[in-house]
Amino acid sequence: MSTRTIVRRALLAACGAAALTAMTALPATAQEVYKIGLVSPLSGANARYGAFANKGANLAAKEINAAGGVQGRKLEFVSGDSQCVPAEGVSATKRMISFDKLPIIIGDICSSVTLAMQPLAEEAGVLLVNAASSNPMITYKAGVGGFKWTFRNYPTDEGRAAIVLEHAVKNRGLKTFAVLSVDSDYGRGAINFTKKYLPRYPDAKILSEDYYKDSETDFRPVLSKIRNSGAQAILMYGQADTTPIVARQMLEMGLAGKVVLVGNGEFNTAKTIAAAPSVLNGSIEAAAWLPEWTSARSQKFVDDYKKAYGGEMPNNHAYTHWETTHLVAAAIKAAASLKPEDVRNALAKIKYDSAMGPVTFDDHHQAVLPMVLLEVADGKPVIRSAIAVKVDYPK
Amino acid sequence: MGSFILEQIVNGVITGSMYALVAAGMTMIFGVLRAINFAHGEYYMLGTFGAWLVISKLDAPYAVSIVAGVAIAALIAALIGRLVMQRLVGAPFQAGVLATIGVSLILQNAVILAFGGGYKVFEGGWIEPVQIGSFGMAQQRIVLVVTALAVFAGLEWMVRKTRMGKAIRAVSQNIECCHVNGIDVESVVRRTFLLGTALAALSGVLTAPVNVSVYGGMGESITLKTFAVIVMGGMGNVRGTLIAGILLGVVEALVSGLIGLQYRDSVGFVALLLMLMFRPHGLFTQKARF
Repeated sequence: MSTRTIVRRALLAACGAAALTAMTALPATAQEVYKIGLVSPLSGANARYGAFANKGANLAAKEINAAGGVQGRKLEFVSGDSQCVPAEGVSATKRMISFDKLPIIIGDICSSVTLAMQPLAEEAGVLLVNAASSNPMITYKAGVGGFKWTFRNYPTDEGRAAIVLEHAVKNRGLKTFAVLSVDSDYGRGAINFTKKYLPRYPDAKILSEDYYKDSETDFRPVLSKIRNSGAQAILMYGQADTTPIVARQMLEMGLAGKVVLVGNGEFNTAKTIAAAPSVLNGSIEAAAWLPEWTSARSQKFVDDYKKAYGGEMPNNHAYTHWETTHLVAAAIKAAASLKPEDVRNALAKIKYDSAMGPVTFDDHHQAVLPMVLLEVADGKPVIRSAIAVKVDYPK
Repeated sequence: MGSFILEQIVNGVITGSMYALVAAGMTMIFGVLRAINFAHGEYYMLGTFGAWLVISKLDAPYAVSIVAGVAIAALIAALIGRLVMQRLVGAPFQAGVLATIGVSLILQNAVILAFGGGYKVFEGGWIEPVQIGSFGMAQQRIVLVVTALAVFAGLEWMVRKTRMGKAIRAVSQNIECCHVNGIDVESVVRRTFLLGTALAALSGVLTAPVNVSVYGGMGESITLKTFAVIVMGGMGNVRGTLIAGILLGVVEALVSGLIGLQYRDSVGFVALLLMLMFRPHGLFTQKARF
């Protein structure tokens, strides 16, 4: 154990002791509070996302409490830091389960942490609702897959791949694809999922498959190959920082307007579009949520969030944690009970109207929920539609 | 198929010219110091960052940024040459490894500290495509190849005809004799180092417009590829480096075009392994120079 960890643990212990004194000093109000946990990275490289998640969740708690709370009690969050490290997420979850005795935990953002939290929640009979991890394994292993106490209200990498493919083939009429994705679990995984759903569209086919290392800068050889193959689109699940490089090299090779980018990799940000506007026109990308989404509920969330946090624009994680907190409150209301068993059963049957559209859970406790489809038109991102797909689980 | 292979060869020659420019400096530094400069890719990065800085902060035109980028990198190299590199003359090879890895870490992290770890987009450069036969490429790439050829012609002339070049050759052959003959070894080392790193910086600035992204760690992968090039070219052999660089570029382009992009980086390492096993003295000489 490093000195820093020791100091941090000591500080935590001191804080815990202080919190205990505070709790015993105020027994009257503590009675009326219903505490639930929120595990997210609050330090380290992903701390920014954890901060967004906490702000979103706390805003939802404030709104729920203003409307009378849950079963007449005030909803309050206990926040834990996972640092996006499984071991840290596990110890934060254990504290919440055995020390704070929380019935419900929302978390984590990082998939590796969520996967480590699942068995703990299962063993303790604590409801784990995930609002931001995209690894498909989390719900492969949930519901009829095993973990009865895990739910996920977030689209998976698999769902994303299926939605993007459906839009590209059905709505845009693209038929021939060349793969150019990052050589990682994420990039290769997304392509494997795309291939899994490809047989749904008999005309569509993949002509070539290439994966790039994260420091790759020279795409000309593979772009020559793609141009010669006659592919209409490049399936790219890649790094945001590589997209401008590929786009610029497509421009110089005269591929602008002939081959479009389809997948995920920040095709829609101003920085990427500026690198090669004519190449990015027509590119297709799916997002769980974005501030520009036009539904009244979504717009109201953006306004309220900005008002509450000094004009800061909410990100995807702020939205999903805000919406998931409301979802949990709706399940409590439907169950008319605060007991985790009742809330779990209500959640499995819920039909919830989110800002993105209707949300239901399949038998793996995976939310069937729409994603936004974005295309670039005339150098600007345009929202095309939102579609949902059902995941085919391995038999 | 024929035109596809031709196109991949052209792609490879372009990338290979960049490798050769970086490797030329490294091989010259090895020649006079007998030390591998593990920080070599960092000067490539510094040149690119210098150019990015004057373009994004001062709105300078690209042509000016080439000069500025190389000058900024050379300034830093002059400092490091005096503080670190000249002390490596006659030092055991471990000292060179540790010192240059240390310099590499310091330079990378200093840049990240100063400008943040995020990727920056390099604006500017001559990126208008020109059509050559059936395939297009940015003007920048032609500039890169022509510059590389000109630089190698210049280096060849310098090494054979000028006083500085003769001194470099003398130092790389026998340091004791240089001392006896009154050649200032440390000054030769400093100047070679400055020239070598300036070439890496030049290569960085010239490729930035087509490689687009600028970030602190960008030099690392360049350093690794450069190892393969200098071993193939024969350590310290400038002319061999040009051919080896282009050869590596062409084979990489063919592998990524015909087999798959994911196998590209293995080309350099396989070449390095084969060379060390069968021809450790390089492709172009029968006898080991060192």
